[in-house]
Amino acid sequence: MSAPHAPEAIALVGNPNAGKTTLFNALTKSIERVGNYAGVTVSVKEGEMFTPHGQKLRVLDLPGCYSLRAHSPDEKVARDALTGQIDGVPKPALAVCVVDASALELHLNLVLHVIELGLPVVIALNMVDVAEKQGLRLDPAKLSEELGVPVVPIQANAGKGLLDLKQAIRHPFPPAAESPWAHEQADPEPARRAMVARLCELAVRRPDAHQQTLSDKLDGVFLHPVLGWVSFLAIMFAVFWSIFSFAHYPMEWIETGLGGLGKWVEGLMPDGDLRSLLVDGIISGVGGVLVFLPQIVLLFLFIGLLESSGYMARAAFLMDGLMAKAGLSGKSFLPLFSSHACAIPGVMATRTIDSAKERLVTIFIAPWMSCSARLPVYFLLVPLLLDGKEGSWKQALILFGIYATGILSAFVVSRVLRGRLGPDTQPNHFMLELPLYRGPQWSYILRHVTDRAWAFVAKAGTVILGLSILLWALSTYPKTDGGNKGDQLAHSAMGRMGAVIEPVVKPLGFDGRTGTAILTSFAAREVFNTTMGVIFNVEESDDKEATRGALRDKLAAATWPDGRLLFTPLTVVSLIVFYIYALQCLPTTAVVAREANSWKWAAGQFVFMGGFAYVASLLVFQLGHLFGLG
Amino acid sequence: MPFALANDLALDSAMTLNQAGVGCDMRIKLLSGPGCDRLRDMGFCEQLQVRKLSNGRNLICSVCGTRLAISRELAEQVLVAPLA
Repeated sequence: MSAPHAPEAIALVGNPNAGKTTLFNALTKSIERVGNYAGVTVSVKEGEMFTPHGQKLRVLDLPGCYSLRAHSPDEKVARDALTGQIDGVPKPALAVCVVDASALELHLNLVLHVIELGLPVVIALNMVDVAEKQGLRLDPAKLSEELGVPVVPIQANAGKGLLDLKQAIRHPFPPAAESPWAHEQADPEPARRAMVARLCELAVRRPDAHQQTLSDKLDGVFLHPVLGWVSFLAIMFAVFWSIFSFAHYPMEWIETGLGGLGKWVEGLMPDGDLRSLLVDGIISGVGGVLVFLPQIVLLFLFIGLLESSGYMARAAFLMDGLMAKAGLSGKSFLPLFSSHACAIPGVMATRTIDSAKERLVTIFIAPWMSCSARLPVYFLLVPLLLDGKEGSWKQALILFGIYATGILSAFVVSRVLRGRLGPDTQPNHFMLELPLYRGPQWSYILRHVTDRAWAFVAKAGTVILGLSILLWALSTYPKTDGGNKGDQLAHSAMGRMGAVIEPVVKPLGFDGRTGTAILTSFAAREVFNTTMGVIFNVEESDDKEATRGALRDKLAAATWPDGRLLFTPLTVVSLIVFYIYALQCLPTTAVVAREANSWKWAAGQFVFMGGFAYVASLLVFQLGHLFGLG
Repeated sequence: MPFALANDLALDSAMTLNQAGVGCDMRIKLLSGPGCDRLRDMGFCEQLQVRKLSNGRNLICSVCGTRLAISRELAEQVLVAPLA
């Protein structure tokens, strides 16, 4: 009796870390991100699968939840999805409750909640290998009999039992089971607990002794009051260091390649506007951003490794005390850490935070965790402070200082803001599951890294490419007759914008060209490099190298009209400070508005951060000038 | 406060999870306080066995093989007694 319209939907529901997303990937053959930390899935993911009979079904991967009581926004999403209250997401016709077989006593609670909703349910008893290793003896048949729903043992990460599961969810769906424990009760809670206890007694035999697992031994180090911090700092430092040193060689190769490409094009074409567009505009503009691909890849690789291993939960546990001083809790750690890669998933990850006020504050300060889009700017400017040499430990130290400045300022603002928002209506306390450590799931990690790398390249090939062409056009037209390249630039649209903006940015130590570059980088931070490249390359009559090193040489030699050096160390520091604090990412503002449910909050964040950046930059430059530093 | 049997002697020897020693196996007797719903959802139910693995600002406990970290305020709401 299946009508020829949209395929039916089934939902995967279960506790965090039960393996829903792993099962989703196995069923739908698409690879979504898997993280071994409560709350990586924060929105509903949709995919499609085919049953053995060739019937198409839509699969919804829901965020993990401990019950349907919905304390945090991601749990609310799960509950609303099950009851069909989310726009654009179909109401599921069947719920697959993914349950960790090694922790059945804890996971059955949610299953009962779902059965009470009146949905047909199939229980996927996942991680049977872990249960076996722990010496648990399970009786799926008894469980199925007692509850009146099919129970299928599976091992999602090894693809075992999936065929049986698909058989269980083919049409016609099993009928919705009765929930006799919930009848005639004002509060079904005690009856539910009694039912769980009864089910466990019948179907689960657990060896009495508490077992020391390898995870416990590792936690002896990672959660130790002293060793835990040492290992945390060591891991963070190792990640930081690897990103900035391993990436050096691939970056050089890309640069050499781009330089060669520029020279080749230059040799092929006659002098003129088209050549200038290709070499000064496109190769210089897009190349200046593409060269950072190795770092982006390494950053996401490390984050993926840390998350999938289970270490992130320990890090959140360690950081809880420190974050409390900033008015937050350990749950804010992962969103803020992820924001160092990109604030958008970081802001979305705040859905796991129970306290609405803590969540708002975390969202507010997330952009001050220097994101990967700022890397091109930092890498262009920092060597200017160090005589143009890259890759030294001094550079790493300065970069560390930059990140630390952003983080510390964020914590101060967080504390103040949290204080002003007042206490929560309902007190929220720290509660976190520490999943077993797991080896890296390489196929997922590599796919995730590839996705992010591709997104980066795609952005370079579309947004940055478009802006490069636009910026080149603005710097080249309208033209004057005669005069050197500098005069031509001054006459062009870009030059005129620069003249207008110069009085505004001069107190910060910048000239019109830098000011224009700052303005354009409000579209995307990397565009700062693009704009500077375009302006300074278009300006130079010879030496059309498209490399960053060459650009930096030009910046180092740049002067004000009166001959003073433009990029003194003080100016560079002032510029870096501006980029640490300014919020220059429209997509982030849009996501903030959506997650905070308030355009005012997003606008306030933008204005505050922009104003703060201006004032901070101003103070740095003027005070430095006062003290004779530059 | 949930109804507690007046002649339940075992309850008199109960202590909060905070007071319990590290490494001893205990049984959860009662949950009382504003966070008990949330605690139950996470797995701290009456009659289940729990072992405290470490103290501190946040406690780490093992319930049915799963490691859970909860704050001291929440641990105060969990009454446990040593296994008979």
